[in-house]
Formats: sequence, C-alpha cells, structure tokens
Amino acid sequence: MESRTRVLLLTRAVSVAALSGLLLSGCAALRWPWWGERSGPAGDVTGAAQDEYQEEADAPPRVIDPEVERREIKRPKIDTENWELGAYYGWLTVEDFGTNPAYGIKAAYHVTEDFFFEANVGRTRLGLTSFELLNPGADPLNLGNERRLTYYSLSFGYNFLPGEVFLGRNLAMNSAFYVMGGVGSTKFAQEQKFTLSFGAGYRVLPTDWLAVHIDVQDRVFESDIFGTNKVTNNLEARLGVTVFF
Amino acid sequence: MPPALLAQDAGATRAERRAERRAARQAEREARREAKAERERERLLQVFVAEPFLELRTGPGRGYPVAQVVARDESVDVLYRRTDYFRVRTERGIEGWASARDMQKTLLADGSAFTLDLGDRAGFQTHRWELGALVGDFDGANLVSTFGAFSLNDNLKIELGGSQYLGEQRNGYMIDVGVVHVFAPEWRLSPYVTIGGGLFRVDEDAQRPNLVDRTDESAYIGAGARFYLTRRFFLRGEYKERVIFTSRNDNEELREWKVGLAFFF
Repeated sequence: MESRTRVLLLTRAVSVAALSGLLLSGCAALRWPWWGERSGPAGDVTGAAQDEYQEEADAPPRVIDPEVERREIKRPKIDTENWELGAYYGWLTVEDFGTNPAYGIKAAYHVTEDFFFEANVGRTRLGLTSFELLNPGADPLNLGNERRLTYYSLSFGYNFLPGEVFLGRNLAMNSAFYVMGGVGSTKFAQEQKFTLSFGAGYRVLPTDWLAVHIDVQDRVFESDIFGTNKVTNNLEARLGVTVFF
Repeated sequence: MPPALLAQDAGATRAERRAERRAARQAEREARREAKAERERERLLQVFVAEPFLELRTGPGRGYPVAQVVARDESVDVLYRRTDYFRVRTERGIEGWASARDMQKTLLADGSAFTLDLGDRAGFQTHRWELGALVGDFDGANLVSTFGAFSLNDNLKIELGGSQYLGEQRNGYMIDVGVVHVFAPEWRLSPYVTIGGGLFRVDEDAQRPNLVDRTDESAYIGAGARFYLTRRFFLRGEYKERVIFTSRNDNEELREWKVGLAFFF
C-alpha cells in the first residue's frame, strides 16, 4: 500500500518536472520584451553558430554599463548688491546757530525694490548766535572751541517715484524719488538730544553701481540751550555719492 | 627720385607703421577683453529659459519697461542680484533685469530647477540674518536701538545690539550680546525670550556729575514678540529687565521696552 502511494507520488513528481521543463524551454524561445534584443543568426545557421547561439542564450543577459556621466553643476554664488555706501556734503541750518557746511557718511540696505534702511553720521560746525555777533568776544554758552555738532540717524525709506531720466537721445538713467523718516541723536554744546528726522531725496544712477543723491532732511529735537524748552527744526540740504555693492 | 617724393614716401611708411602698431594694440586689447569675458562666464551662473520667454526690464523694479525677451531654451548668465531682481546677460550680450519670480521658472544646466531665496513667509521661518532698528523707553529716557542677529537654527539666534539712551537726567550707550529663543517661528506672531549682557556706558549724569567709572557691566532678561508683516519685514516688540553692576554699593535695576522694524535676509 505504502509503496504504491510512493510510486504514485513519484510519477506525479516526474511528470510535473517534465511538463515544467517543457514549458520553460518553450518560454525560453519566446522574445519577452524585457529580455532585450538578442543577437544571433535567425535563419539558416551552421552547427557551430547554433551552439554559440545556444550558449549565449543560456548565459545571463549582458548588463551594459551606461557610459553617461552625470554632469556636475557647480553653482556659483550670485553676488547680491543690496548695500549702498557713500558720503555727502551740504549745508545744515542749526536753529540760532546759522547755516554751515556739513558732511557725513551713509550706508543703506535695500530690502525690496520699494523699501530701504539707511544709517548716517554727519558733522558740522556751529556758527555764531546773534548775541555773539552783536557782542564780539562774548561766550554766554561757554562753548569755547567746542563748536562741533555731530548727529546720526537710523531711517526707513520708501522709493516713492521710481523711474528713468533721459539725457539726450542715447542715455537713460534709473532714478527714484524717495521719502524717509527715522530716529537718532544730535550732540552739541555738551548735550545730546533725541532727534526725529524726516526727509525726501532724489537718486539718479548713472551706472548700476553708482548713485548720485540730492536730498533734504529735517532734524527735529527739543533744545533748552537758551533756558527754555523749545522744539527746533534743523534743515539740511546735501549732495551725495554712493556705490552699490 | 626728387627729395620731396622721398620725404613723402618716408612719411607714408611711418604712418603705415603707426597704423600697424595701433592695429596690433587693438588686437591685443580685444584678445584680453575676450579672455576676461571668458573667465567671467565661467564664474557666472548660467540658467536656461523654460517658460515661453523671459522678460528683461531696464531697471530693477516692476514698473520699468520690458526692453528685451529671451526665448525658451536660450540661456542667460546671472551677473548679480539687487533685492528681488537679477541682472542677467543674454547669449547675444544684451543685459537687463529679470524678476526673481520669473527666474524661479528657469532651469540650471543639468535640468534641475533654479531655486532661490525669496522674501516670504517661508523665509521668515528659516533665514540666517536679521537687522533692525527699534525705539522705546529706558527708565524714562528715550531709547534708540539697533540689532543684528544670526540664526543658529529656526528657534535660536545670537544677537548683537547697540543702543543709545537719551534722558533728562543722563545719557549714554549700551552694547549687548544675547541669545534669543523663538518659540514658534512658523507662527505669524511668534513670542520669544531673550537673555544676555554687555557694557553700560554713562556719558552724562546730572545726579552724579563727577562720575569716575563711567562704564559698567550689565545683564538682562526679556520677552517679546515678532510679527511678520510682508516680504522681508517684521515688527518686533520687547520688554527687558536690566541689572547694571555698578562700581558703587548698589546695583541698578532698570526697565526697558521698545518696538521697531526689522528685516531678514
């Protein structure tokens, strides 16, 4: 009984193996698209060629090394030119002290095409008050030679009217009219004053990196230098040159 | 040959020689310029237009007229960037300004997209640098203050600040270094805490006119909030408790609050 079962199972196994072998060989003759094109004679072939062909067919499919090198992109850093640095020269009127030449430096950072931050530091010499003019030699404020005025301001600016200016037929220069406001301090006569500043200016760029400015600033601070507290407006008109970098 | 003619001939040859030399110099200059342009080209980033065309304006702003267009598949060299505009040069050597939004749609030489940092909400959360100016009150005195910050990560920043206080009684300067921790940088209004210290300088003091030691150390703790406005701008407001370690017997404790405008890049 047992031997009969074993025979049955064995015959089954043999038949399955034979059938699968047949099927597999049949399959091997097919050209599956994922196997790729096989080289070799297809029509009338000699025995040797047939053998070779057979060998090739039995060998695993050849892996082709793609000779494509990935192009390495070196990404150069893009130069950003948002900083503007320069100097100016002009006139500053200090209430009660006359109008005197002033000079200074300024730095700006352009955050967007519309807005920028600007910091500037400037200096002027105080003129004579009317009392000093009328009484030569008098020094009621005890200034001596300390007639220097130094100020700084941190401002926020808005390019209010950007545009272009045309000089003749062949030259166009970018320009902008801007307004600004800020805070800072003014130091003179041994005192420091908290200062608000307001201004407007016009900027013309002869080239992309060079700018010429004409601007007017009003520096407002409270002064008690003559005994009573009063708010003073001190106007400054200036011409400046800056470079972008 | 008559002498007059000889002289004329000599003159002609001299002129010729001069012209030759001039031409040689010209050629040399040309070659140098070419070499320089070549070197520059290697240094510059090249991007390819993937949209139907790329508009080039005459200036770095939305209102400047479009003077040139670059067709699809042509390339431009990026010369430099000003705010959100790029100065580019076409293959034919024409220069103009392209907006950052348009440049975002161009491709690099390997076919990948040209990515760039735009000033937007994402930038507010993740950026490296901040600069700003603030005004406020420092124990009754006016306070003008600036700061610069460097982001160690989205939450943590190292900050350097300089302030001037201008009061009725006294005025002077402060320089501080501190650490800022922003709790939720992804929120539009994000609170933060800060701690730090620095130097406290008194220039003038009405109560102590004969002050000898004018510079002292100080330390502070504070809290504040930042609010994203638009583009690269945000508002910032904060309150600080400051201790001045004076060389006198008593330390001073001062309150400071300020608000201001800042930008990141």
